[in-house]
Amino acid sequence: MVEAGTIQTIEVTVNGEKHRATVASRQLLVHFLRDSLAMKGTHIGCDTGSCGACTVIIDGRLTKSCMLLAPQADGAEIETIEGVAPDGQLTPVQEAFHEQHGLQCGYCTPGLVMAATFLLRRNPDPTEDEIRRAIRGNICRCTGYVNIVRSIASAAAREAA
Amino acid sequence: MLLESVAYARPESLAEALQLLGSSDSAAPLAGGQSLVNVLKHRVAQVEVLVDISRLDELRGIEVSSDGALEIGACVTYDELDRSEPVRSSQPLLAHVAGHIEDQQIRCRGTIGGNCCLSDPTNNLPPLVVALDATMVIESSSGAREVPARDFFHGYFATAVGEGELLRSIRIPSLGSGTGAGYSSVAVGADSKAIARAAAVVRANGSIEEARVVLACVSPAPLRHAGMEEALRGSQPTAEAVSDAAQRIGDDLEPLGDVHGSAEYRREMARVVARRAVLQAIATGGGQRG
Repeated sequence: MVEAGTIQTIEVTVNGEKHRATVASRQLLVHFLRDSLAMKGTHIGCDTGSCGACTVIIDGRLTKSCMLLAPQADGAEIETIEGVAPDGQLTPVQEAFHEQHGLQCGYCTPGLVMAATFLLRRNPDPTEDEIRRAIRGNICRCTGYVNIVRSIASAAAREAA
Repeated sequence: MLLESVAYARPESLAEALQLLGSSDSAAPLAGGQSLVNVLKHRVAQVEVLVDISRLDELRGIEVSSDGALEIGACVTYDELDRSEPVRSSQPLLAHVAGHIEDQQIRCRGTIGGNCCLSDPTNNLPPLVVALDATMVIESSSGAREVPARDFFHGYFATAVGEGELLRSIRIPSLGSGTGAGYSSVAVGADSKAIARAAAVVRANGSIEEARVVLACVSPAPLRHAGMEEALRGSQPTAEAVSDAAQRIGDDLEPLGDVHGSAEYRREMARVVARRAVLQAIATGGGQRG
């Protein structure tokens, strides 16, 4: 039988790269990404699962990384904002946020890019309502969302072209 | 945020999970964690061992039996319910409700079993599984037992699941002909915390033959409203008759008031959502008149 322990050894693949690490069982995944792997693109906003700034994609599931313990991600493939454009070429989502002014302070942007990327993989041609529902878990305190919704619609159109 | 030190284990079978849960007085099952992780952050519960049940095959399936009933594993996520073909075709309302819980991130993690076992009176699924006359299958080391959903919810954060037990699956019978289901909420914002909810299942054939009306957010556990059900039975499936029946909801309800709504407002909204849920049930069951 497996033993319960306050320390766990985990193996995760982050943006295609394997990492093996020993973590405290209580460590949140967001802290593991930021502090152990030094990937600071995944932001901490509220730390209570409300704001979505820490959103990543884990085995195809959109996830707030502050709502998951690092050991829960053992064996998983994790995509973070750092892996979205590996060769430095912006993706259509990133291009669109740039061109449509989909950010102001930028704090929420990594989470929103992950949520938008997730949406467009599932639904390449979303309606405005579908876009708004897809970013329901991501809070932006600057833009009022209008340009964010426009950015995602524009990214969808760009990918279709 | 730093949680209190906690041990973690990910068992590979249901039997092993039950053994681990029995090994400590303060062991807790961890499924999607979308409520529990916050509970741990706020240190409002004493948990020493987290038993991660989220990957157990025994809890992850959706099966359809020959009579059309669905058997849904406790760790099936809201997102999986929303996207499951068998759920969409036989219980479209369940798929819809699951697809409108909070946000995409929560739907990718939160589970049907967690939503029921937490038994927060504002949770989306408890009133629905009661209205759908589901059976909750509870597993322990001595075997499985079955509890009707209407007897499962005992009150605030309390259910029929006892120490050393786990909810294994939820069995939902098919609706049958002439029968429809409805669901309505008044919430703080779109897809968010509710002030009042109702779920209803109505069988009609010219007139209403049977109705189950379940209210939530107005009592410690989902509440079948016998008065409204009785008033509906035998009446015409019309908007007027349903409206009249909803008037049976009254001073018998003693909801708590809070920052989102006073007790009086919740009682009034309970009438509104009950009426809407019953009308939707009538419409989807094909028995609508005038």
